[in-house]
Amino acid sequence: MSNPTSRVAITGYGCVTALGEDASSTWDALIEGKTARAPITEISIDGCRVREGAQARLPLLSGHTQKQLSRLSRASRLLIPAASEALAKASLLKSNGMCELIRLDTSIGTTACGMEMGEGFLRSVWNNQPRGRGSLLAHYQAQQQVGELHRHFGFTGSTTLIANACASGSNAIGHAADLIRCGMADIVLTGGYDALCELVFCGFDALLTLAPEACRPFDRGRNGLMLGEGAGFLVLEKESLARTRGVEIHGFVAGYGHTTDTGHLTLPNQDGTFVETAVRDALKNAELDVSQIGYINAHGTATPFNDSAEAKAYRRIFGNTPARLSSTKAALGHTLGAAGSIEAVLSLLALQTGKLPPQINLIDPEPDVEDMLVKMGEKADLDAVLSVNLGFGGSTAALALSRS
Amino acid sequence: MIIEILSTGSVSPNGVGKIGSPEKCPEISLVGSSATHPVALVDKNAPEILKWSKEPRLRRASPISYYLIEAANQALAPFPDLNRTRIGVVVAFFLGCVDYSVKFYRQITTDGRRYGSPILFPETVFNTPISHVVATLGIEGPVYSQIGDKSGWVTALRTAECWMKNGSADHVIVLGAEEFDPHVLDALHASRLLKKGLPIAEGAGAVLLSSKGNGSSVKLASAKDGYCFANRSEAIETAVACLSNAPQSAPILSTSNGWNANVENFTATGREWLFDKKLNCEAFTASAAWETIRGIQLIQELQLTSLVIPHWGITQQSGAIHLVR
Repeated sequence: MSNPTSRVAITGYGCVTALGEDASSTWDALIEGKTARAPITEISIDGCRVREGAQARLPLLSGHTQKQLSRLSRASRLLIPAASEALAKASLLKSNGMCELIRLDTSIGTTACGMEMGEGFLRSVWNNQPRGRGSLLAHYQAQQQVGELHRHFGFTGSTTLIANACASGSNAIGHAADLIRCGMADIVLTGGYDALCELVFCGFDALLTLAPEACRPFDRGRNGLMLGEGAGFLVLEKESLARTRGVEIHGFVAGYGHTTDTGHLTLPNQDGTFVETAVRDALKNAELDVSQIGYINAHGTATPFNDSAEAKAYRRIFGNTPARLSSTKAALGHTLGAAGSIEAVLSLLALQTGKLPPQINLIDPEPDVEDMLVKMGEKADLDAVLSVNLGFGGSTAALALSRS
Repeated sequence: MIIEILSTGSVSPNGVGKIGSPEKCPEISLVGSSATHPVALVDKNAPEILKWSKEPRLRRASPISYYLIEAANQALAPFPDLNRTRIGVVVAFFLGCVDYSVKFYRQITTDGRRYGSPILFPETVFNTPISHVVATLGIEGPVYSQIGDKSGWVTALRTAECWMKNGSADHVIVLGAEEFDPHVLDALHASRLLKKGLPIAEGAGAVLLSSKGNGSSVKLASAKDGYCFANRSEAIETAVACLSNAPQSAPILSTSNGWNANVENFTATGREWLFDKKLNCEAFTASAAWETIRGIQLIQELQLTSLVIPHWGITQQSGAIHLVR
């Protein structure tokens, strides 16, 4: 990793979450220990067992008429401002809000695309309401959200849309770094997004995985996840390009590891083997020693099986090192395809500020990681951090971010 | 780096190990109207497909999962000794698990929101079919499910190239797969993407790529995507750009199947085009895989040294690959 042409610099970041409309407001609320849990009002979930979650407030979008805004999917309303923040930080936005680059490759993760548009299409077919179907379809598929991104910022380029369930956002960032390292791209806008929608909310409700009360990652009394929504983006580029452009380097994507747990579709291997392998691969890829990792942003969904598998893996990997651990999903919800990218942004902010996101809602800590869980107000001098995500189908991804 | 194409696999309405659709296909009604359209379906009772449904993990899997596993298994069959920890898998979807997704949404909107099947829901997730593939075939390398229109096939090939360049995998199976649900006809009709008489099809295709110099005669010289468009006139402009960046001396395999026939008319000048009757239906990313497979066959049958295969997307972008012998 000593060759500057192969190092992958992070020059921009941004996010929209239920805790805030940008990275700094999200971060401030997170560090204060707030949670976004509230009744869901923007999608139809009457009849579900659980009706609370982490619903984002949609940021204002300039340059769009009210009619245009009404046609955009909720997902696009989340991803465009998050991407805008990342591009602006990377000095890639002109004063008119358009991108400085005509071609900019993207690597983006999602699980649900513009699902409410697809739901609307199906209802229109079943209810014999043909009007507007074309428009619904034109904003449903993931490539169409990327098209909206292209048109909003005036760039085009190769697009890799990764749908590896809840690891999608991490996979997208890892893949962007891979593209840069192997010389297939110089600069990539990368991240993930997902908006709340009826189908997915009801799906998790059917699985009985939604927490009826507070979401408690790594607590022995945990009883489910809190669904959320949002988008997170990074601008990654060759370090040499960033130095030539003279832009601030906020950190580096130092390593990436990914595995597939093939044991069960929704149940992670209970000894945490696949998490351990992904993390060790990321560390090896980054040429980092375990002792250099100061903070881990865990997947930590607060489902009984996920957290115990992760906890076992982290204890084996980190032993008695002073690494600190938290899951930010208790605060901003599980944002599915956005989770890996938002959590990468938050991990980067931990790296930059030395402040650690506390593990909120903790009453009776999981013994394997009890001494690792971050308390309110903790700070640390961090050289490197990890962001880890798991998903249905066994997708598991770990990103190692470093300060230098 | 030289990328060899070692083998292929396919499941199509024409049969297992074949591509394309029969000349005559049944007419199926749209869900929301009495209009009909020809549809070419895979024979789900074919023994090669049925055998996968007996695997314990796959009893409730969607049709697309069976198509994928069979196509991938065919591609791997000639090379049983490959180290499966060093094999990656990337699949391109346009529609994904549309059958079960529609069923699940129908359940929650008719039976009530808390009555969706917890067994069905995980099968609606985009990456579930590929998880079944790697679990069933014992593959342990990197795994991505990617979304896009037909041109997403080219992006998937680029992902394979990236993995082999950075050493994540020695071999990569690249797959394209789709399954049919009648609502697809309504969607294509509403988007004005149905071409009269052109069968909509389902199935899967696979190519096994190698970076290890196994001695295959056909190689993937390049895969270029990112020629994005927002409307049909832009699609023509980007198609022209796409082919102008492809080797000018190589013949081009015609792959236009619908409204994008115009695209090829605009890009045809001065180039040698090959037309093939086996490419006679639209199965999106599965069709893209079949087009690549047919291109490989044509290189061998016609002793071509080089062939460009465009993969015209219908909602996103154009892309093209260049094969050499």
